[in-house]
Amino acid sequence: MKKIIFIIFIFSILLNISCTTDVICTESKYVKLNANFYHVIYNDTTKIRTVYQLSLDSLTVQGLKKDSVTGAYQPVDSILYKNQNGIVPIYLPLNNYLPESVFRFKFNTISDTMTIYHKNLNDYLSLECGCIVTHSIDTIITTHHYIDSVRIIIHDVNTINAENIRLYK
Amino acid sequence: MRRIFVYISSLILCLAVSNATAQKNKQISIPVDSTRWLNGFTVYVDVASLISSSLINNGTYSTEAGIQLDLKHKFFPTFELGVAGANKISTENINFRTNGSFERFGIDFNLRKKKPDSKPTNNLFTAGIRLGVSNFNYNVTQVTTTDTYWGGSNTFDYPTQNTTKIWYEFVVGVHVEVIRNFYMGWNLRNKNLISKDSPGEVSPWYIPGFGQNSSSNWSINYILGYHFWPQKKNAKSKKQLIIQKINNQINK
Repeated sequence: MKKIIFIIFIFSILLNISCTTDVICTESKYVKLNANFYHVIYNDTTKIRTVYQLSLDSLTVQGLKKDSVTGAYQPVDSILYKNQNGIVPIYLPLNNYLPESVFRFKFNTISDTMTIYHKNLNDYLSLECGCIVTHSIDTIITTHHYIDSVRIIIHDVNTINAENIRLYK
Repeated sequence: MRRIFVYISSLILCLAVSNATAQKNKQISIPVDSTRWLNGFTVYVDVASLISSSLINNGTYSTEAGIQLDLKHKFFPTFELGVAGANKISTENINFRTNGSFERFGIDFNLRKKKPDSKPTNNLFTAGIRLGVSNFNYNVTQVTTTDTYWGGSNTFDYPTQNTTKIWYEFVVGVHVEVIRNFYMGWNLRNKNLISKDSPGEVSPWYIPGFGQNSSSNWSINYILGYHFWPQKKNAKSKKQLIIQKINNQINK
């Protein structure tokens, strides 16, 4: 009886070894810049500054790509957010092969253009998952029609979902 | 399925041979002298890795051999040496290629307790530990990144990467003396990686001697070995054993 149990034990282990197949990728490959909107109210009497997180009524975000012939910025075919309400945070894909990514924000009828300068870095994950491109933000320039200012919180944009930038109204 | 068949059939073969020869060994087995410190050494090769490398096309190969000292028939210091490699193309079309050698050293302990009325035998049921190390080069080629939003793709290589990996193993095994001084058996190994991949490292998919790169692996060896330096001075010939047996029966 002991012998049978022993043999079954060995067979089950062998079966386990022999049935191993190619592992599929289980790691996250989602690399996008995380941005939140804030509004700062300064009370003159109390002299206290209060920061509120904004939930926008209507937001449209689209990438702008430089035309190699004319040099002018043209909208990318795909729109990231289209007239969306209450989206916080928003996730922006940075360009994997160029050091700048340009986005046009439309808040109801008011538009702003934001340019993000960044470094790109290839990050090899594994044979199953392949390679991703991560980014390190250098500077951000924006127009100031609706957006007042931009603050970089975390420079590294990778698979960790953390707030990278804050946009202040 | 082919792999299962190979393993199961080889195990059945091992059991069948060991059972058949066990009958003979009951009469002719010449036990080693457990009072002496050094009782010779066994040289062995792993047949399982050779068979699986030649029959199963999973992109890897491995072959290994070892030497094991017999100290008092209780302790078995072991040194193992092998070569292994891989040529694997992933579902993302990335090619991983390596060829390298590996070494393991450690000790086995004989778990078989000798009962006062039991017949003397050289068969072993062992458990032990190993420390394995492999320094090897590898290439990762045809790595591709794509940008689904802005467009474009890029293909590049990571040529001639080098790393050293260290791991420890728990080993359980059975060794049966099938013919005088010829051993057959198996070892079941649980391997655990000590040196993990560092951040930013292009991690190898396969580690020679360890297997696929993960925190823990299982493997089995099917060994054939020969025991050198048997205790000739203390050993009795077949004829003497038979005579002694007859005398014992007469006395009873």
